[in-house]
Amino acid sequence: MAVLGVDVGGTFTDAVLLADGEVRTAKVATARRQEESVVAAARAVGAADVERFTHGTTVATNALLERKGARTAFVATAGFEHLLHLRRQNRRHLYRLCEQHPEPLVPLERCFGVDERVGPGGVLRPLRLDSLPDLEGVEAVAVCLLFAFREPEHERLVAGELRRRLPAARVVASHEVAPEFREYERASTTAADAYLGPVVSRYLRALAAACAEARLPEPLVLRSSGGVATVDEAAAHPAFALVSGPAGGAVGAALIARRSGFADAISLDMGGTSTDVCLIAGGEVGRASERAVGGLPIRLPTVDVHTVGAGGGSIAWLDAGGALRVGPHSAGADPGPACYGRGGTEPTVTDANLVLGRLPFTLAGGLQLDPDAAERALGDVDPGDVVRVVNAEMLRALRVVSVERGHDPREFALVAFGGAGPLHACELAEELEIGTVLVPAAAGVLSALGLVAGDERRDGVRSYVVPLAEAGELPEAGEADLRYAGQSFELTVALGPQLAERFHRAHEERYGYADRHRPLELVAVRTAEIRPGPDLELPPAPPLRVTGPAVAELEGATCWVPAGWVGERDGQGTTILRRT
Amino acid sequence: MNIELQVLGSALRGVAEEMGAVLVRSAFSANIKERRDCSAALFDDRGRMVAQAEHIPVHLGAMPEAVAAVRAHEPAPGEVWFLNDPYTGGTHLPDVTLVSRTELGFAVTRAHHADVGGREPGSMPADSRRLEEEGVVIPPTRLDEASLAAAVADMRNVEERYGDFRAQLAAHRLAERRVAELCERRGRARVAAAMEELYRYSERRVRAGIAALPDGRWQAADVLEAPEGELRIEVALTIAGDELELDFAGTAPQHAGNLNCPLAVTRSACYFVVRCLTDPDVPASGGAYEPVTVRAPLGTLVNATPPAAVAAGNVETSCRLVDCVFRAFAGATDAPAQGQGTMNNVTLGNDRFTYYETLAGGQGACPRADGPSAVHVTMSNTLNTPVEALELSYPLRVERYALRRGSGGGGRFTGGDGVVRELRVLEGCRLSLISERRSTAPGGAAGGEPGARGRNLVNGEDVPAKATLDLSAGDVLRVETPGGGGFGQ
Repeated sequence: MAVLGVDVGGTFTDAVLLADGEVRTAKVATARRQEESVVAAARAVGAADVERFTHGTTVATNALLERKGARTAFVATAGFEHLLHLRRQNRRHLYRLCEQHPEPLVPLERCFGVDERVGPGGVLRPLRLDSLPDLEGVEAVAVCLLFAFREPEHERLVAGELRRRLPAARVVASHEVAPEFREYERASTTAADAYLGPVVSRYLRALAAACAEARLPEPLVLRSSGGVATVDEAAAHPAFALVSGPAGGAVGAALIARRSGFADAISLDMGGTSTDVCLIAGGEVGRASERAVGGLPIRLPTVDVHTVGAGGGSIAWLDAGGALRVGPHSAGADPGPACYGRGGTEPTVTDANLVLGRLPFTLAGGLQLDPDAAERALGDVDPGDVVRVVNAEMLRALRVVSVERGHDPREFALVAFGGAGPLHACELAEELEIGTVLVPAAAGVLSALGLVAGDERRDGVRSYVVPLAEAGELPEAGEADLRYAGQSFELTVALGPQLAERFHRAHEERYGYADRHRPLELVAVRTAEIRPGPDLELPPAPPLRVTGPAVAELEGATCWVPAGWVGERDGQGTTILRRT
Repeated sequence: MNIELQVLGSALRGVAEEMGAVLVRSAFSANIKERRDCSAALFDDRGRMVAQAEHIPVHLGAMPEAVAAVRAHEPAPGEVWFLNDPYTGGTHLPDVTLVSRTELGFAVTRAHHADVGGREPGSMPADSRRLEEEGVVIPPTRLDEASLAAAVADMRNVEERYGDFRAQLAAHRLAERRVAELCERRGRARVAAAMEELYRYSERRVRAGIAALPDGRWQAADVLEAPEGELRIEVALTIAGDELELDFAGTAPQHAGNLNCPLAVTRSACYFVVRCLTDPDVPASGGAYEPVTVRAPLGTLVNATPPAAVAAGNVETSCRLVDCVFRAFAGATDAPAQGQGTMNNVTLGNDRFTYYETLAGGQGACPRADGPSAVHVTMSNTLNTPVEALELSYPLRVERYALRRGSGGGGRFTGGDGVVRELRVLEGCRLSLISERRSTAPGGAAGGEPGARGRNLVNGEDVPAKATLDLSAGDVLRVETPGGGGFGQ
């Protein structure tokens, strides 16, 4: 049996094939039509007799960022039509007063009200369907009525009527996609889902057809939560796949860490322009219930990846106060760092690493690096300083996912991947007093490996907002969002016995105190139906030992091993670096 | 700059941010947790601010006064002090500041509590005349069970107060731990050097920004809408090299009502404008304001003396000071048109609940951009309370929440629109309304048109800019917030 994973990125499409106890990888350039790249990558990796095929896509994310979604209308409770444009009333930047928030996905002229009102106690004003406006000419409609997270009947009727009137349009009601309280975030999520619907369905239909023609099975699509869904499910609610790309990396990192015997790890995926970090506890990828994409809140389960705008291609510069800064501007893939010799003249992190002797003159893909060009670009700037400054950015990101959430990083291993991750990982580990760094054999294509291994996962959420004591019987498995009555932010605690006491302890761990006399409020219950992914056997790799200081050239990635570190490859092909 | 210090500085800023996150996420007042009306900062041994988690600009200049007031009492390590007296380190009474000693310097949190006692629920009376009417006045006091109980005894919603204080204390314990860890790992001397560098770095950046402006002297004036008539604010800006001075000579004497500012609030307003116009991205530290001198004659609106009431000074006068200072800068550089110039403070409450919110409006247009709509424009940047969160917790119903279309002033670039918000009260309660720009409009710049004035109505009848009245169950308050001024013709 063969298992295939294909991850489409901005520049490259990666494929990983697991067949007959062997892992094969391939990279092809991403084409304008993503379905062509997917099939090309599958062919490049020699996919045949594929039993399970999982796919990570950026079609939804790109359509959102590039604003290439459907012509969408928004229907709210009358009196609240402008919900998407009122946001949360804070300005974008404290001191740049005219900086605009990203434009909402639905312009004001397509925001409408319907005569009805539901309150916390039930219906306050009956629904008048004849008050619905004429929505001719729209391709999608998002419906978000007040308190629909609790009483969805009005919303259901409105959506039904719109589907009847506009059979060709995509209609999404907020309770179908994100049945949680706080109307702006719910509306924003619903609007994104409707806006992306037509584009993503078109893509997935084209992909399914291309796969059938190439004799590949219909792919499963990786969602932001790290679980997979069928093509039909993914097309029904594309907002669930907005963080599909980073999710694959986090799932892959968790797999690698587990296989090498580390249940607790932090993933560090450092690419050319940005870096994603994610906490993995007990072998499970950390999850969050909300994330902003392109400045718009998306209230859906997602791997809790924290992203910073600095990577190997980030440009170093001096600011007005004389401080050396790195990023957020990047040389990207074209022209790329100065040492690529493609016309780049500004110094990047990669140039600094080359001058410091941490990169070979020939990269794994065969690219020749030009150290003279790197030195010229750096000029008077100390390359060691460039690395220290970019590391400080990474450290803040690593602290956000660990210490700021009550986890002691010393108890975690650091899983480094992406083009630049293994170059910086040991120094970062030293700063955080982390003793172990893992560099997977598939460091260059780990997201695709995560796809191969991903569980089939369907997330459900039910909103409560009631005292815990009155919540009635809860599911046995899943998670509860709880808070002290009167608080506004919830902590997520696994369901099961002694729920209240475990909440108090979690609160104490995170915020330094608990109040066992204060009543608890149950905000939501999250459940997930999980069918475990395939049990992967990673093939053995040739042995490798390295003692720092040294540059270890691994398959698809270069690793900098500073003095005081030794590394050894384990039976899974993962290089385990330890501080001595 | 020394990279080691830069990296350490980044760690110190991370500590301030982490303090802010703990405070917001574990607090109980809607005002702190939903609206983030709070700030957290680290100070060095000499009482200079070196890092701040910024949520609210009005806290910018006011925290150093709080640390100075506490330092005068020579606090011992491990002690936490608290205060809210606007005349010894505070701003207005609901803002309660905690100061604690760390291994190296001080940690500070400031949060707007939903109620600190006084005559009106919510402690934001529209017509107070003496500070004591606005709530419990806490001079710098060592915080222990007894002193906290004594302070909280005269406040409303005692349980919520304790919850918010515990959230602030959690942030302080975190700061103590983090600063001690840094000192242990890097050595106190290096951490002290990093603090010094954070201070100097911001100073260099702001000096560079000021030096890029032309030297000269410019004047501007504007007015506040007091119930008894307009109050005049005057300011003269002098730029010389890489320093500048703002002098409020000529400003009206302090007000018999509560539009007065303690000097700390006036400083915050000035610092805010300097930051917008010189270097909006400079990391927050006291050094940024080293090149700025603020002169405010004692006994005026902008440097009031006890026992003057101050509830509206912090929220409303501060907005007008910003408008006025921007206008003075318009002679020297590209400054935006005036924004809504008010926070539209609405406080509702009775014996069972208190609820406070401020409402967004239009931002004035900039020289090269339209002003955003429906945002807080000057000294505030608090979030709105979601309709669903509001109605689940309070006997209130939102009848309408919309953009006030067309309220932004015209021009080459258009001012932002204000908002319309209608609240129906479901049980009898008191309303305190503190707003501005109801009789004077936010001005345009460079020939742009003014924004629309705001309006307050109860059951369809106009009510004044500042009002305290009883509402019966079913009454509807409608607030239409001002639009921003336009820029250019």
